[in-house]
Amino acid sequence: MVPLNYYLVLSAMLFAIGTAGVFVRRNLITILLSIEIMLNAVNLTFVAFGRALGSADGQIIVFFVMTVAAAEAAVGLAIVIGLFRHRESLNPDSWTALKW
Amino acid sequence: MQGWLSILIMIALGAGFALISVVLSSFLGPRKPTPEKLAPYECGMPPVGDARERQSVKFYLVAMIFLLFDIEIAFLYPWAMALRDLGWNGFAQVLLFIALLLAGYVYVWRKGALDWGGDQATARRRSTIGD
Amino acid sequence: MAPETLAFYAFGAVAVVASLLVIAQRNPIYSVLLLIASFGALSGLYVLLDAPFVAVIQIIVYAGAIMVLFLFVVMLLNAPHEETEYDERVHPLLRPGPMRFGALLALVLAGELSWALTRSGDSGRFPAGAVASVRAIGRSLFTDYAFPFEVTSILILVAMVGAVLLARREGRG
Repeated sequence: MVPLNYYLVLSAMLFAIGTAGVFVRRNLITILLSIEIMLNAVNLTFVAFGRALGSADGQIIVFFVMTVAAAEAAVGLAIVIGLFRHRESLNPDSWTALKW
Repeated sequence: MQGWLSILIMIALGAGFALISVVLSSFLGPRKPTPEKLAPYECGMPPVGDARERQSVKFYLVAMIFLLFDIEIAFLYPWAMALRDLGWNGFAQVLLFIALLLAGYVYVWRKGALDWGGDQATARRRSTIGD
Repeated sequence: MAPETLAFYAFGAVAVVASLLVIAQRNPIYSVLLLIASFGALSGLYVLLDAPFVAVIQIIVYAGAIMVLFLFVVMLLNAPHEETEYDERVHPLLRPGPMRFGALLALVLAGELSWALTRSGDSGRFPAGAVASVRAIGRSLFTDYAFPFEVTSILILVAMVGAVLLARREGRG
């Protein structure tokens, strides 16, 4: 079987890709997708560690992470829809009124 | 891993069939385009407007409600598998879980998010809630 | 090479390449579809980790519901092109200010994590026994994790109410 380290390195790569997506992209939907990539990288780590420790806890936490991801997607996309109605743009730089 | 191999073969067969069908039909089918043939098919009517029209927000609301109840079913499946071990204690937990989600469902229903009828039905409901 | 190792590399490659393409696409529709491919590959990895239930839930919840939600929102907003004030063809690392910093930060993060993980050697062998049965998961979920489970339902309730309030056109503001 493939050692645990391989899964962890793969998860780290996916997480870094997600982080890069959040920073580099200027589209709210792509930023939310990048967050989903990061959540999935974390899920992979949980399942791999759960398998290594021989317990079901890793898989159970994955369910909770998925629930949080679903809630995050539902509310986040609703906010994106609301923002888009307000100002016809998906660029996060369009909403800087509270920045200063 | 033996059982998963058959699933892999199933996926390969399914994807291969779709791929081969599309590729073969594009190779073998005769191609005599006319403007009518190239137009998007719209139930035989002349096409109206742009295909990239904005969808109604109702699609989003229904997909969102589907997603959240999908999660609920995902949680209920392990409970069903461990039903005998958990007994009434697990039953009470699931009952509370479903009751809380039912409250959300009732809220969504009362808000009219599930209304696909004409504007009149929606307007009447909205006036009764006093939104 | 053992078939399992081969499967790991295949799924891992699909996941990484698809995720990279997700953040490289300019049209969000392609991003969403590529992310579904990435989730499918992750589901295969869960199978390799003896977690078939998580693999199935991954397909049902992530690929089947969350991505459909994203797809509907992309269709709803119908703004496929990212409007930016700088040239899109310029490499992310050469773009101004925070983006250059962010891309650099992600690269450093990837390097650091990979370095740390490869240094720990080949210690992480998996034990023979695996908890694969849904029954064991259910038993643990409804005893040890009973409270988080109930809190989850409140989270779903709040998400439902919040999303309906925010998304409806008749909402205030």
